[in-house]
Amino acid sequence: MPLLEIKNLKLDFIAGDKSLRAVDDVSITINAGETVCLVGESGCGKSVTALSIARLVPTPPARYVGGEILLNGRDVLKMSKTDLRGIRGGVVSYIFQDPSASLNPVFRIGNQIKESLKLHRPEKATDEEVIRLLKLVGIPAPESRIKDYPHQMSGGMQQRVMIAMALASEPKLLVADEPTTALDVTIQAQILDLLLDLKKRMGMSILLITHNLGIVGDMADRVAVMYAGQVVEMSPALDLLRRPLHPYTKALMNSVPKLSSNLQRLSAIPGNVPTLGNFPSGCRFYPRCPSAQPECANTMPQLVEVEPNRWVRCLYAKSL
Amino acid sequence: MLSFIIKRLLHMIPILLGVSLITFFLMALTPGDYFTQLSMNPQISPEKLAQLRAEQHLDKPWYIRYLYWLKDAAHGNLGYSAAYKASVSDLITSRLWNTFLLSFAATLLAWCVAVPLGIWAAVQKDSWVDRLCSLIAFVGLSIPDVLLALLALMFAAATGLFPVGGAQSSLYDLMSPGEQIWDRLHHLILPTIVLAASELAGIMRQMRSNMLDALRSEFVTTARAKGIPEGWVIYKHVLRNAINPLLTIFGYSLAGLLSGAFIVENIMAWPGLGRLTMEALSAKDYPLVVAGVVMAAALLVIGNFIADLLLAWSDPRIRLK
Repeated sequence: MPLLEIKNLKLDFIAGDKSLRAVDDVSITINAGETVCLVGESGCGKSVTALSIARLVPTPPARYVGGEILLNGRDVLKMSKTDLRGIRGGVVSYIFQDPSASLNPVFRIGNQIKESLKLHRPEKATDEEVIRLLKLVGIPAPESRIKDYPHQMSGGMQQRVMIAMALASEPKLLVADEPTTALDVTIQAQILDLLLDLKKRMGMSILLITHNLGIVGDMADRVAVMYAGQVVEMSPALDLLRRPLHPYTKALMNSVPKLSSNLQRLSAIPGNVPTLGNFPSGCRFYPRCPSAQPECANTMPQLVEVEPNRWVRCLYAKSL
Repeated sequence: MLSFIIKRLLHMIPILLGVSLITFFLMALTPGDYFTQLSMNPQISPEKLAQLRAEQHLDKPWYIRYLYWLKDAAHGNLGYSAAYKASVSDLITSRLWNTFLLSFAATLLAWCVAVPLGIWAAVQKDSWVDRLCSLIAFVGLSIPDVLLALLALMFAAATGLFPVGGAQSSLYDLMSPGEQIWDRLHHLILPTIVLAASELAGIMRQMRSNMLDALRSEFVTTARAKGIPEGWVIYKHVLRNAINPLLTIFGYSLAGLLSGAFIVENIMAWPGLGRLTMEALSAKDYPLVVAGVVMAAALLVIGNFIADLLLAWSDPRIRLK
């Protein structure tokens, strides 16, 4: 049984009397000990999908319309509030994009980490355990840092505190929602190395959300690419990087600058991600797709397994 | 911390000097003085008036008078009220206590009602609770203090449940201590409610919007993602962040209560500092006006000072080194 199995998840945002589909028929599985990357441009629904795993998207404005989220075989969407609180932190922990906003500015970091311990491992809610966790995530002199407020730390250190807080409850799955976007490049590499290292030592799974295909190869076992609320390609990481099948994935790969090439300009995907409620009929990518065919405007492609373990949502996946 | 407190207290001195100077100057711009009306009285000779004026240095220019006043004030003597035939210090002390009592009670009432209502309205956003609170705030902000004070007086007169104005009954001195306390409270209730009403509306709306801002913060998602029960999220994580902007308002609200108290004290015959200053102003009783204004300014500065201390205590980001 996989650790996490999202099946045909559908989520709407209610705006006035309209409901806008933000996540449409998304299915993702994560096995124990596996790292899955969720890739896509801003606004494609990756964060909402990730937050849904612990039902953290506020309802309203959101509404879960259909599908299942099986975590350890139990459907998160049907859980009582009490069970849900056990899952949050207990089975799945989160770290977010901007650690300076994600930590509460008025409480000491030791206090905030201890909060997690009190909820999920009350017998370990001690200063010693907090110090051990801070040491684990590579914070120097944790004995004196425990009394710091978030604003007294650098961004990289704050993100390490977030990771320590997430690990405090010993989760099975760590969801990292663009954990390095707000950090500078040298710190990014350190944080990603730390995540890989911790994953090995603690044997947990990671769902890493990113819009940077550059880090996928180092981190992921499998990749799911999302576009306009749908998964358009899902594949083992190396296969996808060597030979992307969906035109959108290809376009994304082309926009990653390479050190070897002598590019004058970065290539970009023309146009923008369609906004919620303005999705084109048929294939959602066809207005921006370099290889669009007339049929693409009319028929919505389904996610099909075109090669073993490689799922693509494109009418012409095989011929491209 | 101690040096900060001392520094802030020292900062008060130039502010109060400035306030007293401007008050003297503005008073000098208006024609006449307390003794002008006495000159209509045929029983008082011009020589006597000149002598009375000389006693108060009213025959000299305003800046000389200011220096005389400053010299006396430095010795703790705020002058002599010609209208009340009493020392200004004594007059102010008794009135200041009344104003303080009224302001304190009104602040307490306003905050104790407004903060929980604001939280409730924010947590139950768009529910009937929220709408009712909006309505109360709208009414509270729209009705001027003057009207509300008059309505309260009408209510007191019509029902007889509350005394119509004043701070104590005429038989106060004959009462037992217990009765005296009840009598003071009984007189305090209506002015407190009137004074608190408009204040309450503002604080409630402010609290609501602060809570909504804090509820939208990312650390709330973090807290929920840890599995913290919703009540704990709201009362620990959200509230501590929402209350900070209110502490700044608290300082201004003390000053606002004093200026609001001018009106309420006048209409509801509450013997406070505001009413005393207003009466002194129309009687052109200079020493009393200056002392009243300086006291009000001092309360404002102290209010801000308290707000800064509270804010430093509550928010580590601005805590003083």
